[in-house]
Amino acid sequence: MSDAALPAAVPARKRLGLSDEALARIVCGLAILAVWEGAMRLWAPPFIARPSGIAVAFWPTITSAAFLEAAGATLGAMAQGLAIAVVAGTVIGLAIGRSWIADRALHYYVNGLFAMPMVAILPLLTLWFGYTSGARLATVVFASIFAIIINVSDGARSVPREYIEVSRAYRASGFSRLMEVVLPASVPYLLAGLRLAAGRALIGAVVAEFFAALNGLGYFILFNTRTFKHNEAFVAVLCLACFGVAVELMMNGATRRYLPWYRREDRGA
Amino acid sequence: MSMAMDQRAPAHETAKAPQGERAPARIRARGLGKRYGALQVFRDIDFEVGEREIVAIVGPSGCGKTTLLRCINGLIPLDAGEIVANGERVTQPIAGMAMVFQHFGLFPWKTVTANVAYGLRMAGATRAEIAEKVPYFINLVGLAGFEHAYPYQMSGGMQQRCGLARALAIEPNVLLMDEPFAAVDAQTREILQFELLRIWSERPTAMVFVTHSIEEAVLMGHRVMVLKGRPSSIFEMVDIDLPFPRNRSTLLHPRFAKLREHVWRCVMDEAQAAERELHV
Ligand SMILES: Nc1ncnc2c1ncn2[C@@H]1O[C@H](COP(=O)(O)OP(=O)(O)O)[C@@H](O)[C@H]1O
Ligand SMILES: [Mg+2]
Repeated sequence: MSDAALPAAVPARKRLGLSDEALARIVCGLAILAVWEGAMRLWAPPFIARPSGIAVAFWPTITSAAFLEAAGATLGAMAQGLAIAVVAGTVIGLAIGRSWIADRALHYYVNGLFAMPMVAILPLLTLWFGYTSGARLATVVFASIFAIIINVSDGARSVPREYIEVSRAYRASGFSRLMEVVLPASVPYLLAGLRLAAGRALIGAVVAEFFAALNGLGYFILFNTRTFKHNEAFVAVLCLACFGVAVELMMNGATRRYLPWYRREDRGA
Repeated sequence: MSMAMDQRAPAHETAKAPQGERAPARIRARGLGKRYGALQVFRDIDFEVGEREIVAIVGPSGCGKTTLLRCINGLIPLDAGEIVANGERVTQPIAGMAMVFQHFGLFPWKTVTANVAYGLRMAGATRAEIAEKVPYFINLVGLAGFEHAYPYQMSGGMQQRCGLARALAIEPNVLLMDEPFAAVDAQTREILQFELLRIWSERPTAMVFVTHSIEEAVLMGHRVMVLKGRPSSIFEMVDIDLPFPRNRSTLLHPRFAKLREHVWRCVMDEAQAAERELHV
């Protein structure tokens, strides 16, 4: 719609603007790398990470068995924990959003726990679960579930009254109303919560690995740093950053693919 | 004018009904009253709707038309009186009634097909019934080819066609229409009015048609209920003795202009009174 309404000159300028922006971004990135590389060469001992070292170490590191195993462990725990958080968080969020009693009962706890840094509870979790992958899973769930609960309960609360009325007029059961009206209307909120939760889950997994010395990317970074393989450690750090970007892209893709109505409504409003 | 006055008759003396077969009544409403807290919306509302009769309701906006429809549908409780529909006292939504909403009420995450199927599914229709009826009703309202479209991909007129198909699909014997064409453009509105009349004459049901357009009320209704006052009540039940089937030529009928004028006067002298109030 906006494309048709705009005069022809604007898209051309926009295209130019975009390439300007990209150029600025690249120049800035190269400048940072150059300063970093130069500073390291001038003042740092050779084992400290630097762009050229990372570039050389990149491929061997990400194809090494140790790295792949570590990445698998971290991502596996993150996926598993997020799955638990999504299911349990959606159920609890719907309850809070639609039931006055559940809201009163849980509101403060959920908000309090959401605000609490998960690092604080990590010692307790290792006490309960031992220094095992169970503790990491618990950390991931703990780190991510409250973001889901809060967003889903917001979504469930703000289902337009009209939709509820339509379902009542057609004599839908309470359960069907929850599954077919409240839940789909809350899915955009769930995705927003999941976006936030995924970042927190990754942090949770890595911190738990640091703390409990569990095999995973967190421990991989720790171990390589302590054994003076800073370039290798930095490759893992870069990969963690890439996971974050990948999750973001996947969410956008999923929204476009599975919630075409949502983006459109967003733009229209 | 005097002719129209002659038409004015108490609602129960309906023997000389021009078209709508008024007995037996599909909806019987007695002494309806509704309050929202301190705001008395309407009171003392009595009317009946025949099995194959369209009762149009006009009144200024805010006079409680939507509230009355929601009460008839059993979505909100009354404070006084009772409604009996299909021989059943309405305290919650009952089977065989379908509402068409002013803002369509379509689920944005469902396609046309899924939206039309919704009412049927909630009514417990089998898969086979749904597979047979949904395409039929999509076709009936002129949405063939848009089965897989989402509401956001369609114009307001098309969305309301979909809302109409969803209501018709459960084959209700009472249709409640809440300003169904108020949110679409004028030309589409005319087209939809005549299509609704065509669909109704193929399969007549009891219908309560709420509108704020006097012309639309006279065109659609066997009778027009004029609501006014604060709290509002029935000012007049106007018999619309225009022949059925109604179509574009109805608009050119000399009776049409007279009846429209009569309803207009009913509605307007409140508007004038309200204006006078403002100037006091
Ligand atoms: N849920 C509600 N709570 C309180 N007041 C309401 C509610 N719904 C409608 N009203 C009020 O009742 C009156 C009638 O509203 P409505 O039935 O929507 O009128 P209409 O459909 O004729 O425009 C209005 O004054 C409106 O503000
Ligand atoms: Mg209304």
